[in-house]
Amino acid sequence: MKAKLEQLKKDFEKILRDVKDRVALEEVKNEFLGRKGKFKTLLKDVVTLADEERRAIGKLANEVKDALETAYGQKETELDMRHPGFRLVQEWIDVTEPGKFSEEGHLHPTTQAISEITDIFARVGFTSVRAPEIDWDYYVFESLNMPKDHPARDDWETFFVDLPEGKKGKIVLTPHTSNSQVRVMETTKPPIRIININRTYRRQIDIKHLPMFHQFEGLMIDKNISVIHLKGILDYFAKTFFGPDRLTRLRPHHFRFTEPSFEVDITCEVCGGNENGNCRLCKGGWLELGGAGMVHPNVIKAGGLDPEVYSGFAFGWGVERTLMMREGIKIDDIRVLYKNDLRFVKQF
Amino acid sequence: MNILISYNWIKEYLDTDFSPEKFAKETTAVGNSVERIDRLSERFEKMVVGFVKKVKPHPNADKLKIAETDIGKETVEIICGGVNLSEGQRVVVGLPGAKVKWHGEGDLVELAKTKIRGVESFGMICAVEEIGFEKLPHGYHEIWDITELTSAKPGTSIAKALELDDTIFDIEVTSNRVDCMSIIGQAREGAVVTGKGLKGLKSLKGGKEVAHGFSRGWIEVKEPEFCPKYSAILIENVKVGPSPWWLQKRLLLAGHRPINNVVDITNYVLHEYGQPLHAFDADKLDGEKIIVRKAKKGEKMKALDGKTYEFSHDMLVIADVKKPIAVAGVMGGEETATTENTTRVLIESATFDPVSVRRTARALNLYSDSQLLFEKGLSTESIEPAIARAVELITELTGGRVASLIITEQAKSYEPRVFPFDTQKARKLMGIEMEDKKMIEILERLGFVVNQNDSTTPRLHDSMTFSVTVPYWRDHDIEAPVDFVEEIARVHGYENFPSIFPSGEIQLIQEDQAIKFQRRTREILKGAGFTEVYSYSFFSEKQLTEYGIKKEDAIVLRNPLSSEFEFMRPSLVPSMLTTVEQNQHRFPEADLFEIAPVYIPKKGDLPDEPLNLVMACYGKDGRELFLRSKGALARLMRELGINDWSLERSRDPADYIAHYHDGRLAGISIGKNYVGEIGQVSDMFVKNFGLDSACVLIDIREQDFFSKYTSVKSFKPIPQFPEVKRDLAFVLDEKIEYKMIEEKLGKISTLLEQIELFDVYRGKGVDEGKKSLAIHLSFRSNERTLESKEVDNEVEKIRRVLKEEFNAILRS
Repeated sequence: MKAKLEQLKKDFEKILRDVKDRVALEEVKNEFLGRKGKFKTLLKDVVTLADEERRAIGKLANEVKDALETAYGQKETELDMRHPGFRLVQEWIDVTEPGKFSEEGHLHPTTQAISEITDIFARVGFTSVRAPEIDWDYYVFESLNMPKDHPARDDWETFFVDLPEGKKGKIVLTPHTSNSQVRVMETTKPPIRIININRTYRRQIDIKHLPMFHQFEGLMIDKNISVIHLKGILDYFAKTFFGPDRLTRLRPHHFRFTEPSFEVDITCEVCGGNENGNCRLCKGGWLELGGAGMVHPNVIKAGGLDPEVYSGFAFGWGVERTLMMREGIKIDDIRVLYKNDLRFVKQF
Repeated sequence: MNILISYNWIKEYLDTDFSPEKFAKETTAVGNSVERIDRLSERFEKMVVGFVKKVKPHPNADKLKIAETDIGKETVEIICGGVNLSEGQRVVVGLPGAKVKWHGEGDLVELAKTKIRGVESFGMICAVEEIGFEKLPHGYHEIWDITELTSAKPGTSIAKALELDDTIFDIEVTSNRVDCMSIIGQAREGAVVTGKGLKGLKSLKGGKEVAHGFSRGWIEVKEPEFCPKYSAILIENVKVGPSPWWLQKRLLLAGHRPINNVVDITNYVLHEYGQPLHAFDADKLDGEKIIVRKAKKGEKMKALDGKTYEFSHDMLVIADVKKPIAVAGVMGGEETATTENTTRVLIESATFDPVSVRRTARALNLYSDSQLLFEKGLSTESIEPAIARAVELITELTGGRVASLIITEQAKSYEPRVFPFDTQKARKLMGIEMEDKKMIEILERLGFVVNQNDSTTPRLHDSMTFSVTVPYWRDHDIEAPVDFVEEIARVHGYENFPSIFPSGEIQLIQEDQAIKFQRRTREILKGAGFTEVYSYSFFSEKQLTEYGIKKEDAIVLRNPLSSEFEFMRPSLVPSMLTTVEQNQHRFPEADLFEIAPVYIPKKGDLPDEPLNLVMACYGKDGRELFLRSKGALARLMRELGINDWSLERSRDPADYIAHYHDGRLAGISIGKNYVGEIGQVSDMFVKNFGLDSACVLIDIREQDFFSKYTSVKSFKPIPQFPEVKRDLAFVLDEKIEYKMIEEKLGKISTLLEQIELFDVYRGKGVDEGKKSLAIHLSFRSNERTLESKEVDNEVEKIRRVLKEEFNAILRS
């Protein structure tokens, strides 16, 4: 048996040497390695052998088979090299033809931004919640430390619904997402880490302003939360969303429902944060991201919590603005976002 | 709000050796954002004093002249069209390389030596608007004659000759810090960063004499609530004329228009001290009285802007015995304004209720620099220093003499605000360690007066508690002890705070299923080739009525931006049809969807805001579109894990029948609940919305669709025994619905696992009114491998039912 196997190997190598083309090669392969080929036929007798011998032969048979296949592979390569055009001619396709598509769907850029923002905050434990878009004055203004005669509560800035006042005041279209703050505090025990992304409404429409836009609102309430934590979360978001090289700064600002309040700036990508340049996009190397601050004690009180025990921070930014800032897109007329021109939407 | 601040002007009140850039950076860090730095030496680069030696006619143009102009080193020829050009004038020459605004408009343009109508011109003789002083009074087509303004030698730079070597900061001031809307206010904040105190503040010395008639009784404040303090002083012997250049220049650089010396001084003091003043011509007042009162309904006054305003009774006015002479805090009247004939001037300085000023200005649509400040809230204590400064300037510049004391009507005397301050709490909120001493030092630098509470006061912590007195210029914005924390933190500098990730307990807030599944739905539909659109939540009445929605079923806005945006939409369908209409010509076929809340009125409560889903497939063939939509719906349901959904010809079509094609409409149910419709848009709506295409809509309106029905997919064990397949083809009546066949066959054969319709054919070879269906039948048992004979028996049963119950003719 051993001798037969070795003979088989020699025969194969000899015949292979004279093979000139692929058709002949395939024939030889079938003759030796095919299902009814010489190798298989030879091995039929192995079962009749004693255990020990069978093991030895089995090992040899495997070696021989490997050798045959290697020889075949080499010959195949050799033939291909000698006839480089074979596959080219037989199986040529025009790779520059357009590919075949299944119909391509598109998500609106606002949806894409919302998903991304949600995910970034979800990774650090901020749960998405929903708050009404049409809400009581109480949640929109009163409980947020906005005095009765604050300009935002005037007709010129905020939309009012033509319905009678209820116990919680007039009904308004939310001009910010901060109405979620007291609503969440009323129903949830700290620690609170939430994010609320919603439609918001303001009474202005021009190339830079939409009467309907989106904001995302973050709120964290717990014991011992301080300015340094707000900085931590804002840095995390800015670097994740905009890239690790961007720097942020907190600039003192003023909002009724936070104290201290900040405007969050990020270094401009276009000019690389050049403070003395005349960049088309930014002011002195910095772009304004949005507002943030430590939740005002009066707001925590309105949420039914004790400001002596709990503190927290909040931030509320425009989704569309944040998105455009990252893409470096300067949309000349922002109103294109919600005109539903498919030439616009299908780009995303 | 923004203010233009001259660095030189600040330096009159603040010693600083900071470069303008450093000053800008440091004040931005503590809160006053410098948005732009205008370096005047750059603006006026390559502009020099020129002396016009000779004016010659231009050989090729009647309206142009050649000015032989001495520019110091040499005399050059400049082509000029200025109508007031004359020999012996000193003018501003823009040399080649200078940047000017052509006719005061557009971007800056760099000058070059150029030929004008065949004659070479060396630069340009500038008009005021060409170098950015469009607010300086000037005539049409006049060049700027600076003969009177400077005696500097030709060739001297303009920045030097006209004392324009300054830096202007454009500063954004937050709405709570109206005290920073002035030179003094910015100098105060500047003092915090430079560490040096203010100098040269004015207090009142004049006003000793009492003129006949002008005394206490002259001022009557009828509305002390809206005018907590009103002061006035009379100046006589005033000579009205143009202001000196240094004053005009300051106003120009601050964005004000120079008018005459008296008005200019009130604006100068406004900009410097942040307290509005007004100057009345005392001789034009009727009766010896100033009355602060509410307007009478229908009362009118012509204001300084030349327009006449009619008041309502809730507006506050300043009046004499007969007529209103100013809209309080907003604008003075034209009739009593100072003119070149004025000799006696009554200077008013007052405080008005911020809300009243704001509402009056909005209602009249009349705005001014004064109103902007008043509506943010000014302190009654800023009146006196401003009057003192005005008196100083008027006596110096107009020859005026103080003819009265300051007459003041004030409802109640000023009490500074005082708050307790706990340094330990401040440290806790800031999250950094800072000694009490440092905090107190910062507060004192900002003008707060800090007193340590005496030791008998019980103490909560180891640290001290303090009582802090608020300086008068901050009496509208400091409202609570927590405000001190912001003051300390901003001066300490937020860049000095570390950035620390919060630690703490895990919160357990249930994830909102609707948020999760509406997002999944968007992704599924995108994967199915749909494009997402976003429409405004607003609706017009037209959209409402065209879609047959009753007005009372929609939320109405009380103050919409326009009639286009009057309602909040109770359905997503009309906006979707509008979207189809707007795109159908560029995209003859498309699959679209929108997910958004709609707004359903609810009596005595907030409206419901259910998240709706609308899908639209539009194109040519309604039948094909219906199946495409239904396929997309089936795929969506399957991927959302909703198994028990079904379509039925609408149960209660009455409500929606007008919206849809009556033969191509079905209700969508999940279990027993009706959630919406699928159907082809009716001809009426195709017409109403201007569609040229067929459109099939899926409108899912169920309130809890995204939270209630969606679920995690469940697992069914993989079958152990093989299935056996058979195919059948048969012809039957067109009106027999596939669903009936499917249900019937499912009932008669227990071994039948699945039926799949794989071909529907109508046309040649099949009679009119008939259709040919081809189905795959799959049989399987969970207990054993089926034998061919068993399956044949089952198929035979099926064939019989098809023949007997559906009148089908089997084709195989």
